[in-house]
Amino acid sequence: MICFFMNFFYGINNIFLKSEIQIPTFQNRNLNKTSLKLFKTYPENKKWILKEVLNNKINDYFYILKNEDISNNEIYFLADESIYDNFNNKKLENFNNFTDTNPAFRANLKVYLTNGGFSSYQSEYPYAMITKKGSIISPVASIANSYADKNYVFIKNIFEEPIVDYYKTYLVNYETKKIEDQFKIKTNYTNCIELNQKHIKPEIFLVTEKFLGIPMYVSIKNNFISFEHTHPPHEYILSKNKFLKITDIKKEINEIIN
Amino acid sequence: MKSLIKKIANTDIGILIRNSFNYKPINFKHNKKKFPRSVSDAFLWRTDNGYKTKFKFSDILKLFYKVNDSWVEFHFYSKNNKIIKKEKVKNLLLSNEFEINSKYLGNIEDYGTFYIFHYSKNMTNLKNQDIISNRCYLGYSQNNNLHTFVHGNTFAKFANINSGDEISTDIVKTSLFKNQTYTIQKYFGDFDKNELFFVNPTNKLIKFSIDKENYKLEPNHTFKLEITNPIVSIKSNCMFFRPTIFSYKGIYVDVHHS
Repeated sequence: MICFFMNFFYGINNIFLKSEIQIPTFQNRNLNKTSLKLFKTYPENKKWILKEVLNNKINDYFYILKNEDISNNEIYFLADESIYDNFNNKKLENFNNFTDTNPAFRANLKVYLTNGGFSSYQSEYPYAMITKKGSIISPVASIANSYADKNYVFIKNIFEEPIVDYYKTYLVNYETKKIEDQFKIKTNYTNCIELNQKHIKPEIFLVTEKFLGIPMYVSIKNNFISFEHTHPPHEYILSKNKFLKITDIKKEINEIIN
Repeated sequence: MKSLIKKIANTDIGILIRNSFNYKPINFKHNKKKFPRSVSDAFLWRTDNGYKTKFKFSDILKLFYKVNDSWVEFHFYSKNNKIIKKEKVKNLLLSNEFEINSKYLGNIEDYGTFYIFHYSKNMTNLKNQDIISNRCYLGYSQNNNLHTFVHGNTFAKFANINSGDEISTDIVKTSLFKNQTYTIQKYFGDFDKNELFFVNPTNKLIKFSIDKENYKLEPNHTFKLEITNPIVSIKSNCMFFRPTIFSYKGIYVDVHHS
């Protein structure tokens, strides 16, 4: 069975960091421009609020969202006018398959410092991820810089229901089997956690309970900046038993956090 | 008869024909040999123009398979696929890092590729169909500024985890014709300079064109191209041919995969 799933896009709005999103109006195997419009949605009073994003197109090839256009609780997607009739304010749906491409349809998500450096990655939040609950495991030392002035991890969660649910995120020491720190983050939001230098060690893993998300690491030093996400564990195993292996390690981690 | 056709369609020749005519094309194929297997991306190193490259990798065998005596081997190649050095690293941590500078590579100031292979003599927890792939993270620092990180992005070579025998390649498939188009979903017009680094992950000649300029990339070679177009479309005979991007503005540089 072939499944067609769209992608959502997101940004970061923060007092020390600005962001910009370039959402293409073309597919990566076909430069023909789409007439789809850019919409945003966010949860409010247990409903998804839908709005069209206006006046953000550059040269017909990209919708550009500047920092002032971005909120941490908003997500962005391409759709046609029929969305007004079909939008379900109780549950996000797979509105169209324009962004379901191989290779993956991506938006450039850039973070930058005022009068300083910038860093980006090609980002997307697949629809298939928003319908599931679960946990993420991310090795902190894989990208965080122990010699940077500041290190942050941003965790973007999108869940299909318009809920703002708080859940815990842990820094777990895999060798001592202890929790080194914990934080409260929320669903349908771009959460920010500042990392302490002492936690940037090979045996420390960032773990969420209950909800999935994309962990993105930012390091800052002398006005230079680095921004990248970590891979989910199943990317490391290509054989059919990958999910068994991931279940094993998640079981181990769950025993620590519980 | 049907199963015979299916068998032929999945041979190297069959896949080449399918890809050439875009009939059920195959981007990647893992051959049924060398199990259990360690797959490496083609990682870009840079020591030119004041660059040094930091490499971060996990001990996947320890994390997922509880193998405590594993080691890794690095193979460094010049941009023209000449071997520079091989290095074996033992006593791995869960997360490891090292820096590649010109001194480490014998005072070479250039760019090229390297590969990582995981090995172990302990096969207790490894099954015959296991395939691991270390996508890793690369940090590029110019003039001793903060490293900007990007993850690996191109399956390239593989080896049997249990033996140091020959290294195989051609996971990424090709076509007879330049019938694959990939447009990078980023607007390049805002930068002072943009460099694209292409790696040929196969043992085949890759022919590609950008903006009507034709290029050829020999097997496993690396190629740097400065581009001036705001939109970049790559036409090639390779089923997965996506460059690493370096975008410059002032003293700052952003590195990401496409």
